[in-house]
Parts: sequence; structure tokens; C-alpha cells
Amino acid sequence: MAAYIVYQEQLPGLLKLWARRYGVHVPVDTGNGLYDFSPWSENTVIAWDYDVTVNPLKRYLLPPREELITFDLTDYSAKGVFEAPRQLLFGVHPYDLNAIAQMDQLMEAGSPDRNYLNRRENTVIFAMEPMRVAENSFWPSMGGGRSDIGFDLFWTRIGPATFFVEVGSKTGEDLLMAGGELPSASAPQHDAARRQREKIRESSDLSSLNVPWEELPKILSKSWNSPIWRERSTMCLACGSCNLVCPTCYCFDIKEEVDESLKTGRRWREWDACMLPSFALVAGGHNFRSRAAERYRHRYFRKGKYIYDLIGELGCVGCGRCIKACTARIANPLAVYNQLSEEAAR
Amino acid sequence: MTPLKEFTPYAPRAATLVRKETLSDYVTLFEFNQDNGRPLAHKPGQFIQVSVYGVGEAPFSISSRPKAGSNSFEIAVRKIGAVTTALHNLEAGDKVGIRGPFGSSFPVQEFVGKDTIFVAGGLGYIPLRSLLRYQLRHRDEFGRIIVMIGCRSPEERIFINEIEDLAGRNDVEVLETVDCSNDSWTGNVGVITTLLPKVELDVENTYVAMVGPPIMYKFVIGSCVSDQCISPDRIYVSLERKMKCGLGKCGHCQINGISACVDGPVFRYTDIDLLKEAL
Repeated sequence: MAAYIVYQEQLPGLLKLWARRYGVHVPVDTGNGLYDFSPWSENTVIAWDYDVTVNPLKRYLLPPREELITFDLTDYSAKGVFEAPRQLLFGVHPYDLNAIAQMDQLMEAGSPDRNYLNRRENTVIFAMEPMRVAENSFWPSMGGGRSDIGFDLFWTRIGPATFFVEVGSKTGEDLLMAGGELPSASAPQHDAARRQREKIRESSDLSSLNVPWEELPKILSKSWNSPIWRERSTMCLACGSCNLVCPTCYCFDIKEEVDESLKTGRRWREWDACMLPSFALVAGGHNFRSRAAERYRHRYFRKGKYIYDLIGELGCVGCGRCIKACTARIANPLAVYNQLSEEAAR
Repeated sequence: MTPLKEFTPYAPRAATLVRKETLSDYVTLFEFNQDNGRPLAHKPGQFIQVSVYGVGEAPFSISSRPKAGSNSFEIAVRKIGAVTTALHNLEAGDKVGIRGPFGSSFPVQEFVGKDTIFVAGGLGYIPLRSLLRYQLRHRDEFGRIIVMIGCRSPEERIFINEIEDLAGRNDVEVLETVDCSNDSWTGNVGVITTLLPKVELDVENTYVAMVGPPIMYKFVIGSCVSDQCISPDRIYVSLERKMKCGLGKCGHCQINGISACVDGPVFRYTDIDLLKEAL
């Protein structure tokens, strides 16, 4: 794949050009050591060295609340609603890229989710090699350290003001050249990018899974009755924070309201969470996962086995957001999976 | 940029209520016509999502048999929540929105030439009725039809006239039971498994179609398999979950790694006996 060299001083000009065609979103420092993606404007300071954002990027593709249809009560007609803004996400880390690539597959499978896919088609993704690894991240050991698909451009900083930019799509290449031709990367620059990636990978090896990630589905299939589910979930506040910050959680509820006219209305979907006690409740009051331990187990099975059974990838990309978001300090996939692998080895 | 594709499976179609029939204190049969004039084209065991705009949408099993050339279909609904109460308040001529049919169905062709035991616990008769009425319509193609129905009490029996008509036929065997009796009830008392030993079966030639409350399945399957020696791969069950989208996306109806709305609701027992959350 082609690769080019871009100098930092060229970026303001390029960003301005891109912003004419897309809503550009970049990582910013939101204070207290926290980061998040935010709309870019000329005054925006991009947090090049962010470790992880508080929120996952799924909100650009599956918004927390998204209208699905409008309806008319007078004749019971209904119309689909599709909003798909042209947007460019600049600075997406590989684990989030993996999460998006995974969601792409799941939303395409079976009955394709047009609302998601339309948003995805209008979204350009510029990935970026992390410069720092978050304290709670463990993506290298979950196979989330590198993604070869799903990006339009992949940026790696190889000097104080020099970026090595790998092309992932024609759209990406056209946007890169929007301000004029750029020099192709030389062989030493290819090497420099590879070394930079290896360096970040080594520095992130501190937190790791004690088995290869491919083993997890097998380990989980033997751990249905493990005491770990009960032990760890006794503190669960059933707040659903781990679901909300997870880049691969996409469960939703469907709600609606009627306008003041009482003639028309709208139906939308909004993020839901399998950790909430009402999630698996059915008519008549029967709840298929009424206990915290059952909901907790379901979440780890979904990440470690069910998604794998569908697409051959783990549903956990190792970003560690849930570890930070959990006020009860029980949401820790790394600790859970490591404990289960130890149990399985005994 | 490719042009956006704008078909949505989330938009319901209109259907008009043509008939309401009280089945018990809380359960009513609703007959609708699809406004587009087309048949619903469902298969026995499938479900639809029914909307009362402003209140919400809920999944219901289709209770009528598939009818070629007719745009009419039936659901039977227990008044228990917001949508079901709103449905009960509808009058003939009122409209609802419908999506579907969704999900898997009973493998009708596999049952051809074979005996079928219908095991209906409580409201389980509603989804089973679609298959039952199909078999009755094509009576010559099927072997014995044995209908077992269990309710908590005589007051909760539904489709009473229809079941009496069935019991009066010489080509259908009907067995009913109630968990708790009262003075008006002279039939069998006890859980539904007490009905199974009352019929002699050609077990090599018998299929089981079963719908009931979660607690019923394990007991009935246990009886069918260990006491009656019916092969587990000839047992079909329909599992109820909270289907929200009907498309396998929203996650609410997950049973371990599968979705009841697309992989089910009808399952062959041998396909789910290893799923811990199924029964």
C-alpha cells in the first residue's frame, strides 16, 4: 500500500480543506487527564498523545439516540428516517478501529442495519498509531494492536513533526492530496514507522492476558459454573456504565413519542445495557437474567465467546474503558479472563 | 460516495382491526386485515411486531393458519402491559402498524405423514394454533393429532368453544388439565405432564410441538424423552423472549450466543439442549 510523508505544518491547511466537506472530529484533552473526540475548528488543540478517550467512537455510527421512523396516526403510515452526516474521524487508535470493523460485520450480517451502514458509508476514518498506552489498556494481548482494514489513512508519527501516512482507500488518498502532491515515504521511513509501532507495542506489554486470546472462547465454554461470576458481581451496581463505554456493545432499546399535534410521532432507538436488571425481562414478569451474576456472566460470554463464534474475533478489543468507568471496580476483562484461565489450568 | 440506501425494516405497515373476540377475562382474539391487501404470508410459529403508535410495539405470535389469497390474520393477546392494554381498547375499524412476519417456524413438511402431539401450557395454545389449524386444513396429510392443554385454573382456559369442537371430532384427540380445580371442573387436575401417560404413542412416528411458560419445558421434555422414549430431535419448542427489533440486532432476545427473533422462536430441542439459557 502506498505511503506518504506529511509534516505537521501542513496539517492546519489540510484540516481546513477537509472541514469544508466533512464534520471533522479529533481527540482533545478535556482536563483531569481525560480525553474525548470533539469537533475540530481552527482553534482546536489536537491531543496527539492521547491514551484513550472516555467515550467510545461508536456514537458516530450508532448514536446514543437515533430516530428510526416517523409515523402518522391518521392513516398509520410510517417512513424511515436516515441521518448520515459526512464525517471524518481523525486519530482513531487501532483498538477502536478493530471495534468499528467488528461492528461493521455485525451490522451487515443477516438483516443489514441501513441506519448504521449509511452512517458508516459517509464516515472517513484516519487511524493513528498511539503514542502512549493507557494505564488500563491491554489491547496488544487481545489482538487489537494492529488493524489492517477499516481505515482510509493510517498515521504514524516518526519524527517530532513528521508523519508516515499509509493509504487505506482511494478516498483517503484523495483527501491526503487535497492540498497538493506529497512525497512518497522512503524505505528508511517505512522502517521508522515499523520501529515506532514495535516500540509502542513493547511499552504496552505490561498488562497482558496470560493465555493467547484465541484460547478464551474455549476457556469460557468450561466456565459457565465458575464461582467468579458470583464473587465479582456481588458489588455490581447494575449501572450499565461498562456497556455504555464499551466500543463493541451495541444493544439498544426502541422507544417512541407522539407530537403535540397528536397526529404524528417518531420512534427511535437508544443505547441499552445488558447489565441493567430489566434487560431480559419479558411479559408476565419472568426475567431470564434476573441476578447480577447472570448478567455479569452474559457480558463476559458475549465479549469472549458469542461474538467470536459469529465472526472469529473477540468482542473485547482491550481498550480498558470499562475498567475505568466501573465505580464498583469489578469490570475488568483482563482480570476476569486471567482468573478463568488459571481456573481452567488447575 | 455511494448513494444512501433507504429501505428500513423498522417501518410498520398498516393493518385494520376487523374482529375482536373475548377468549377469557384477560385474553382477546384480534383479527386484522393488512391494508395493502396482501396475505401476511407467515409460516406456523412465526411472530409479528404490532404497533399502537404513541404507546409502543410488542411481539405477538400469529395464531391463524397461513391463508393464501387472504389478507386476514389473527393474534390473541393477554392484557398485561401498555401495548396489550392499548390493543384491548381498539374497536373494529381501528388501525395498528405491523412488521414481519419474523423468525423460524415449525417444519410443517417434516410433520407430514407423522403423528403430532401439541403441548400447550397456558397461552401456549396461541402460537400452536397456527400449526394446528394448518394440519386440520390439510387433515389427510397428517397422522394422529393429539392436543394437550394445561392451564392454571378453569377460568384461564382460552378458545373454549374451539377446543370443545376439536374434542368432538373423531380425528383429533384432546386432553385438558388444570393445575388448580374448582367446582365447575370435572376434568383432569394436575400439571401438564400428567396427560402424557394417558395416550399410547407410536413413538417412532411422533413429533412434539410445544409452547408454554419457561418452567414447563424441562418437565415435559423430560417426560417425553425418558418416559415416552420420543427422540429429542423430534421435539420442537417455541421460546418467548423480549424481541425488540426482530432483526437479531438489539440484543434483548439473546439466548446465550443466538437470537430468539431470527434463530427462533421455534427451535428443534436438539439444537438448543446445550444452551444454558434456553429452557
